[in-house]
Amino acid sequence: MLFPTLDFGLFFLPVLILVWTVGQASNEWRKIILLLASWVFYGAWDWRFVALLIASAAINWLLAAQIQRRLDEGQGVQPWLGLGVAANLMILGFFKYFGFFLEELAPILVAAGFGRDLPVIQVILPVGISFFTFQGMSYLIDIARKKTAPASFLDITLLMSFFPHLVAGPIVRASHLVPQFQAVPRLSRGMVAGGLILIVWGLFKKAVIASELATRLVDPVFFDPSAQTGLDLLAGAYGYAVQIYCDFSAYSDMAVGLAALLGYRFPRNFDQPYRAASLQDFWRRWHISLSSWLRDYLYISLGGNRGGIWYICRNLLLTMLLGGLWHGAKWTFLIWGALHGGVLALERLWREYRPAGFPRLPTPIAVLLIFHIVVVGWIFFRADTLEGAITYLTQLAQLRPGVALASPLMCGLIALGMAFHFTPPGLFAGLARRVAAWPAPVTGLAVGFAVLIIDALRFEGVAAFIYYQF
Amino acid sequence: MAEEFDSPVDIATDDQGLPGVGQLIVAIAVAAYVLLLWNAHALAAWTDGLEPGPLSARAGAIAHALADKTAAAGMDAPRAALHDEWERVKAARWPGQTDPDQR
Repeated sequence: MLFPTLDFGLFFLPVLILVWTVGQASNEWRKIILLLASWVFYGAWDWRFVALLIASAAINWLLAAQIQRRLDEGQGVQPWLGLGVAANLMILGFFKYFGFFLEELAPILVAAGFGRDLPVIQVILPVGISFFTFQGMSYLIDIARKKTAPASFLDITLLMSFFPHLVAGPIVRASHLVPQFQAVPRLSRGMVAGGLILIVWGLFKKAVIASELATRLVDPVFFDPSAQTGLDLLAGAYGYAVQIYCDFSAYSDMAVGLAALLGYRFPRNFDQPYRAASLQDFWRRWHISLSSWLRDYLYISLGGNRGGIWYICRNLLLTMLLGGLWHGAKWTFLIWGALHGGVLALERLWREYRPAGFPRLPTPIAVLLIFHIVVVGWIFFRADTLEGAITYLTQLAQLRPGVALASPLMCGLIALGMAFHFTPPGLFAGLARRVAAWPAPVTGLAVGFAVLIIDALRFEGVAAFIYYQF
Repeated sequence: MAEEFDSPVDIATDDQGLPGVGQLIVAIAVAAYVLLLWNAHALAAWTDGLEPGPLSARAGAIAHALADKTAAAGMDAPRAALHDEWERVKAARWPGQTDPDQR
C-alpha cells in the first residue's frame, strides 16, 4: 500500500476517524486502533511478516526488561545488551545478507575444491526491516545508557509498527515517540496545516517530479549507459540526484504529515541537503534520522572523536562503510559508503592540518564541489552492478555528442528539484502559519484542488519509493 | 524520558477559530468533496481494479454513475485540459533533439 494511492487514502480516512472518535475516549484504545491499522498496512505486502514484526517487538521488549532489571540491581548490562543487538542484527542479516553471502561463497567453495552446489534459498526481504530493527537496537542501547525507560509491550510494539514510519523511516527513537504515546495527543491547528501541506508537497515531489524523472530519464539511462550520449548521461546523473531527493524526502514529508494528523510529532529528516558546503554538512541535512543514528550508535560506539585524528578518520570510514552496507549487500553500496567515508575523513584531516592563512573555498564553489561528489556517489548507489557504474562514468567522460532523453521537461524538473534547496529556510513554517489561520473550508478547497492538479500531472501509476527496498 | 527534537510540524499558531480536530475534519471533508466532484473518474477507475464480487460491482456502478454525471456537467474538463497541456510539455523537444523512441 503506497502513500500516494487511492488505496492508501481509503485506508487512512477510516483510521483517522476512529482515532479522533473512539480514540478520544481512551488513549489505550487509540493505540490499539493504530496498532491494528499498522498491521493491516504492513500485511498488505505480506501477512507473514506481521508475525516477524510482532516477534521483533516482543524480543526487544523482553530484553529491555532484563537490561532494566540489571541496571536496577547495579549489575552490568553487557550480556543482555549484546544479546539484544545480536538478535536484531541476526534478523536483519538473515533477510538482507544471506542471499549475498551464499552467492559470494559458492565460487570460493568451488575454487577451493568443495565443488558442491549450495542450497538455493530465496529469501524475501520484508519491507522496512532495516528501519524497525534499527529502532529496536537503539531502544535497547538507550535503556542501557539510561536515556530512556522501558516501555509497555503495547507502546514498544506500536513504536516499531507505527505505519507512517514503518517502511521507510524516519527512524523515530523510543525517546521521541513513546512519551507521545503515553500522553493523550493534542491536535493543534498548526499541526493540521503543517501536516496537510507536507502530505500535498510530498505527493507532488513523488508523483510528479520523482516519477517523471525516473521513467523518462534515469531508468533508461542507467539501464544501458553504453548506448547514451554524454549530455543524457550527465542529465541522468543530475536527474537521479533530484529523483532520490524528491522520492525519499517525499516519503518522509508524507510520513511526518500523516503522523501529525494523528496527533504525533516526527523529527525532521531532510533539510535542503544539496546546499551543503561540506560533506559533514550534507549528512546533517540528508536522512538526518539515519545519520544521527549512525553517529550515536555506531560512530560513538567505535570510539567517536576519541583517540586522535587517525582514529577519528578510521571511525568515519568504518561508519560510512557500514552505512553503505546497511543499504544492501552490494559492492556498489560499499563503494558509495567508502567514497563518503573517505571524503569525510579527508575533510577532517584538512581541518586538522590546513596551513594557517590558506584561503577557504568560496561557499558557492564548495556547494558545487560537494554536490558533484554526492552525484558521483549516487551513480554507484543507483547502478545495478559495479560494472554498470564504471561503464556509466567512463561513457560520461567520453561525452558522446547528441541528446535524446534530456528533454526540456526533464531539464526543467531537475532545475526545479535543485531550486527547492535554495528557498528561504523559513518558507514552509511561514506558509503553514498562514494556512493555519485560514477557515477550514478554504483549507479543504486548497487541498482538494492541489491534489486535483497533481493528479492531472502525475505519471500513470506510482512506482514504489526507492527506500522501500532498504 | 522524552528527548527534545525538532519537528517540521512545530508551527506556532494563535489557535483561534475551530480547534485542530474540527479544522481537520472540515478540511478533509471539503477536499474529499472537491475530488469526488472534479475527479470522479479516478474513483471509478479504482473500482475497476477491485476483485470482482457483488460489493465491488455495486461500488463500481455508483462510482461510474457519479463519473458520468460529473462529466456530463463538464466537471472533468479542467483536469483533462491540464493533463493534455502537461502531455504537450512532456512531448516538447530541443531543436535537433533525437526522439528517444526513434534511436
